[in-house]
Amino acid sequence: MRFQAKRCGVQFSPPSIILIYQQLDTNKVRKRIIPVRNFSKYSDYNMAAERLKNHPRHKDYLENVSQGQLEKLHIILRDHLQGFSLEHSLASFHLDTDEDLNKLGDDELARKKGQMDELFEKNRKHKDDPDFVYDLEVDFSKPTAERCSWDEESEDDF
Amino acid sequence: MAGDVGSIPELDQQKYDSDQQVKIICLGDSAVGKSKLIERFLLDEYRPQQLSTYALTLYKHVADVGNKTVAVDFWDTAGQERFQSMHPSYYHKAHACIMVFDVQRKITYKNLANWYKELREYRPEIPCCVVANKIDADLKVTQRSFNFGKKQGLPFYFVSAADGTNVVKMFRDMIKRAVDYKQNPSDFMDEVLQELESFQLEKMEENAEAEDEEQKSDQILSLQ
Ligand SMILES: Nc1nc2c(ncn2[C@@H]2O[C@H](COP(=O)(O)OP(=O)(O)OP(=O)(O)O)[C@@H](O)[C@H]2O)c(=O)[nH]1
Ligand SMILES: [Mg+2]
Repeated sequence: MRFQAKRCGVQFSPPSIILIYQQLDTNKVRKRIIPVRNFSKYSDYNMAAERLKNHPRHKDYLENVSQGQLEKLHIILRDHLQGFSLEHSLASFHLDTDEDLNKLGDDELARKKGQMDELFEKNRKHKDDPDFVYDLEVDFSKPTAERCSWDEESEDDF
Repeated sequence: MAGDVGSIPELDQQKYDSDQQVKIICLGDSAVGKSKLIERFLLDEYRPQQLSTYALTLYKHVADVGNKTVAVDFWDTAGQERFQSMHPSYYHKAHACIMVFDVQRKITYKNLANWYKELREYRPEIPCCVVANKIDADLKVTQRSFNFGKKQGLPFYFVSAADGTNVVKMFRDMIKRAVDYKQNPSDFMDEVLQELESFQLEKMEENAEAEDEEQKSDQILSLQ
């Protein structure tokens, strides 16, 4: 890896992804402006993010920027093109652990999942990792497990 | 028993009656990780079949259980409420059920009660388990005990689709239980028992009526 991404953001006009990164051989911090082309309010943010991630001129710089993060930036761009405010976009990413996600539509649910993907990808073990164990087993059975507070109310339901 | 409610024109569900075929369903709220769990178990063994109108993804898998080879179909369902009307087709002919919740979201744990109740309306006896997913997010949860399903004797697993903890063990256990159930389906026994029971109930009601009449005639007698 030659570049360490520091921060990644979005600019509305002209539509671009902004990347602040460190050049690892010189330790210099630089800014890269990546124009987002052919992206309309009807575009598929998934595909656009993937295209960017694999773009021959940019992919080295974006190596440690997750697909999820790039998707999010494209969603914000698309929301803007559709006339939504930045506040609206940011709120739609917010994960409220009490919210019933069964009630959401596809697009809103995808945003929440995109948010969850950050931790998922961080903790993920890939099958090509040297320490990958396919049938990893851990025994958590404990004689004195604390009772879960989630069980305390409405015990009768169960 | 379920008649036509479970039929999906695109899918032949008759095959699940054959000896070498089992159907395992994954249930639970939106975004608890049902799909990620199946994907982790199968890695990229097969390309799943998408039936988006039914909010359903079908994964095929071949497993060796004892000295038998069985074809396993995993029915990966969607938690979204607008697909509620599809549920009967998920339950139809299922041989085992994996119920998943997200250890980071209490609401998904609370909702297990609804999923379980509905499952039992259609499949009173199939093997079922409770799966606590995403333990990688906070390993401390594994020190707690989650009591849902304890009463019903449902096995419980702490798993992570992200790092793989206990995923394969859980699926292997459930495949085995599905196959065992298939060889020894207790739902049929249950139906017979229920019929017997309702038969006895009818008889008791008859007796009760007879007693009532006697009482009435007693009263009439005493009035006279
Ligand atoms: N940290 C962590 N995140 C997970 C894990 N499993 C799933 N996730 C996250 O949860 C999100 C939802 O997972 P899915 O597998 O799509 O959930 P689902 O239950 O299939 O959801 P529906 O099909 O919409 O009902 C994923 O996008 C991941 O980001 C896990 O083990 N650990
Ligand atoms: Mg899913």
